[in-house]
Amino acid sequence: MFSWFGKVSFVPYSKVADFAVHLKDGRMMGSRCKDCGYTTFPPRADCPQCLSGNFEFKEYNGKGKIYTYTTISAAPTGFEDIAPYTAAVVELDEGGRLMAWVGDTIPLNELKIGIPVQVVPRIFDDSPEIKVYYTIEKPGATWKKAPSPHLG
Amino acid sequence: MDLGLKGKGAIVTGGSLGIGTAVAIELAREGANVAVNYRRHDAEAKQVVAEIEKLGRKGLAVKADVSSYNDAMKMVQQVQEAFGRLDILVCNAGINWDGVIWKMSEEQWDTVIGVNLKGYFNYNKAAAMVFKDQKYGKIVNISSINGLRGKFAQSNYSASKGGEIAMSKSLARELGVFNVNVNVVAPGMVTTDMMENLAPEFKNKALAETVVGRFATPQDCAHLVAFLCSDLARHITGEVVKIDGGQYI
Amino acid sequence: MSRVGIIGAGHGVFGRRSDATVQELAFEAFRLAIKDAGISRDELDATVVAAVPEYHKQRSVAGVVQEYLNLNPKPTWLTEVACASGSAAIRTAWMAIKSGLHQVVAVIGCQKMTELATAEILALMGRVGEVQWESIFGTTFPGYYAMFATNHMHEFGTTHEQMLQVAVKNHFYGAKNPNALFRKEIQLDKAMASDPVASPFCVYDCCANADGAACVILADESRAKALSKKVVWLDGVGCATASMSVLRRPNLVGLPSAVEAGQQAFRMARVAPRDIKVAEVHDCFTIAEIMAYEDLGFCKKGQGGKFIEEKRSYIGGEVAVNVDGGLKAKGHPIGATGVSMAYEIVKQLRGEAGERQVPDANVGLTHNVGGIGQYTFVHVFRRD
Repeated sequence: MFSWFGKVSFVPYSKVADFAVHLKDGRMMGSRCKDCGYTTFPPRADCPQCLSGNFEFKEYNGKGKIYTYTTISAAPTGFEDIAPYTAAVVELDEGGRLMAWVGDTIPLNELKIGIPVQVVPRIFDDSPEIKVYYTIEKPGATWKKAPSPHLG
Repeated sequence: MDLGLKGKGAIVTGGSLGIGTAVAIELAREGANVAVNYRRHDAEAKQVVAEIEKLGRKGLAVKADVSSYNDAMKMVQQVQEAFGRLDILVCNAGINWDGVIWKMSEEQWDTVIGVNLKGYFNYNKAAAMVFKDQKYGKIVNISSINGLRGKFAQSNYSASKGGEIAMSKSLARELGVFNVNVNVVAPGMVTTDMMENLAPEFKNKALAETVVGRFATPQDCAHLVAFLCSDLARHITGEVVKIDGGQYI
Repeated sequence: MSRVGIIGAGHGVFGRRSDATVQELAFEAFRLAIKDAGISRDELDATVVAAVPEYHKQRSVAGVVQEYLNLNPKPTWLTEVACASGSAAIRTAWMAIKSGLHQVVAVIGCQKMTELATAEILALMGRVGEVQWESIFGTTFPGYYAMFATNHMHEFGTTHEQMLQVAVKNHFYGAKNPNALFRKEIQLDKAMASDPVASPFCVYDCCANADGAACVILADESRAKALSKKVVWLDGVGCATASMSVLRRPNLVGLPSAVEAGQQAFRMARVAPRDIKVAEVHDCFTIAEIMAYEDLGFCKKGQGGKFIEEKRSYIGGEVAVNVDGGLKAKGHPIGATGVSMAYEIVKQLRGEAGERQVPDANVGLTHNVGGIGQYTFVHVFRRD
């Protein structure tokens, strides 16, 4: 159910759709090629190294560093109600990068390139449908212990 | 069946009497630490705590008026501190104050709604905030078959019991993704103090309604509640389970 | 090996063209290019149309343009690589001519950006990047380049003022360009105070949508020499890609696709960056022009801010960049921009740029980026 992932989803189907199911359960999954061992985050079904389509999910611990960020004031459709919001790219300690919102535990004046962070799986808690995402929090935040974010 | 409740933390409102006491003891027997509230019956509440402790579990009696929002918030916090965790909420505290509507005072209405329906809101909300963050919880709201049907001279009671059912269904929707089950147990006539005060003709009429020719005991209800509080029932949510011996089919 | 040259060029007025359809805009530019080339339509073997289809109500834009230009049954097809569509179409025409299949090909870049309802446009705005892992967090075109800017400022100390000086320059020249959307100069302090868009960008860091069209006509060497006395040769074509996703780029302080495309074009044309006298680079956002100076080798990595601050990209500096106003002042009708860039270089190398003429311009360059750098096309032009 890849459409669970994101505030607005543009991708209902993907070979890595179960990523969203795992995220709902609090687990961030990258992928690992079963034939050659190539691992990557975000996950992909098809191995760029050996062309195999034989993959499995591999859990990532979500620890990383801020790579870059911006605070977006002019929002596209579907995001106007939460503007301004800060999106950042995180370089994961276990390899790969991801894009996510900066969470409430990191105030803007503390946000700097290079600071260590913890990416935390989240459930949108005001949606009648299941919608999941992740946010960037201070190290030590967990799925069960990060304070619920205030969006918009 | 091992219900897997060992070490879990539970709150049972109205746990000093009747169904509530039976539920509290049953949960303790299954291994949970149980807190009960009381409004006036502190002796009975302490008695329940003693029984819980005899079973080797932690017990706690908290003086709290269920119709008070703040009391509910405080009790949930208190129980979390005392037990280290909260996993289960059973809302059971309820009163009735019967009367046909043309004789029912505003106070009669407000009090029953305030204790029964508002009281369940107070505790459901306080617990929901904990359960949602920890991604685990079991809520059982004890309603009545008189929330499914209209009972003569119980417009206030039926309203509150029906309201508890609809509220529980809404909460099941809101909390499902956070791994929280919200269910309703709807007993018919149960052999409790509340029943003791009824006139014989009402009791007989109710007995005739059942197909099994008897009323439920608090213990019958406790078994069902305990099951719904366990992970064996993890796929049951937003459900209303009658326990009425066929009184209302 | 036979060369390919530009024998005609035409440019329409860029702006909010609620007076015209996309094919009517295409005709404006086409008419001017044909007249400029001094040829009849029968000379054309084919056209290549550059437009980004999702902004138009009319599906399959190339078909409706070809019909309106009365060019049926000549071959045509659409080329689309986001904002680099115009240059991609030129590359395609160049390839068609080099292969010997066609001799004279018209490239028409045409685009309406304002045809759709605002809500539809705003929804498209959110799908600029990689939609599976990034757009779901509300990333936008300015948002992405703003992330580049955040890194560039962090790594090299580039300042917001330096970035806005790019805008000041481009509006200075755009004011002199009758085809530009914005024809007024701007002041740095007013620019600094404009509304935030995506930190560190404010409104004045960002190009604006516009409708418009431009056209260039390419020919093989023998036809070009026979038909025109002022041929501008397209001697170097380079193209490279990078990941759509910023998550998989090697760095976010430059565009590796631009570096690679530039090197290819320089190599093919046998020139070095310092030989370029006039350039059109893709200034969709101010930081993009600063990174372009670095990626193309006009200055060292990290020195782009100083380059603009010291006015080295003005006429009279080492290389005159975007002296037609760039995307910033002309507006950005995305399918047409690449062709507009080629138009300007052609005019400059012919000495026909009037008060914006770069003296002794004999080698020019266009740098046309698609989206957030997943495609870059660099073309090097020469006047013998």
